[in-house]
Amino acid sequence: MEHGPEILALAGLAGVAAGILAGLFGVGGGIVFVPTLVFLFAFDQLDAQATSLAAIIPVALIGAWRQSGDGQIDWRAAVLMGGGAAVGVLVGAEVALRLDEATLSRVFGAILILVGGEMIVSSVRKLQAKRATPAPADGPRRP
Amino acid sequence: MDLSARLRQGNLLPFVGIGVVAGLFAAMFGIGGGVVIVPLLMLVARMPPRMAAATSLAALILTSLIGVVRYAGTGHVDWIAAILIGIPAVVGVLIGIRFQRRLPAEWLVLGFGVLVIAIGLRLVIWG
Repeated sequence: MEHGPEILALAGLAGVAAGILAGLFGVGGGIVFVPTLVFLFAFDQLDAQATSLAAIIPVALIGAWRQSGDGQIDWRAAVLMGGGAAVGVLVGAEVALRLDEATLSRVFGAILILVGGEMIVSSVRKLQAKRATPAPADGPRRP
Repeated sequence: MDLSARLRQGNLLPFVGIGVVAGLFAAMFGIGGGVVIVPLLMLVARMPPRMAAATSLAALILTSLIGVVRYAGTGHVDWIAAILIGIPAVVGVLIGIRFQRRLPAEWLVLGFGVLVIAIGLRLVIWG
């Protein structure tokens, strides 16, 4: 690859941003990696997705190692989900070939918007409840 | 840690189910599994937000490894590009976890909600 220093600097910055999202929210970073590879390095979608997976490996390894030190990981759940995901990917690839992907994407996108909205509403409510009862030790608990 | 203990005693099948759903969506919509795993861990397994994010990251070790093995040899993985963005991302993940330690759980969920909506909008608009 021959790229100017500014392209490499941008790629580095995008990498750091992807890592911060990964560390904060437990996503792999692909949401940043894939568009970065497409726009900065002119990768096609498949190359970008495959390369993004490779970039996620060190992020997931180091991130999980650090979180494990904090006692935040349920390893059994992680292994079971990883195994389940392997099955899901095989089935999903089959399904994607048979169905109208654009419509599916929109339906799934709408579900994500609802889920995200629910998360925002519930967390804002909790924050308001916290503010209303400054002594959480014996304050009334909201469901 | 009593929650973790409860999860260990409990039915482990939901975790396999969450993984299958995450893999299904990942393959169908080209999104990372974490976006599906984290909310499901919180809703179905009742995991606290931070633990859900951390455990999702651990699950992604396996899913990304399996994914790369599947693609390796097809010529689709550009290892130099992967290192160019992956190494800065390792720095980023350490920064992100440092933030996360100080962030109250509610703010973590709020931020995740914004992220999920952004991804949802992208899918709705561009298909």
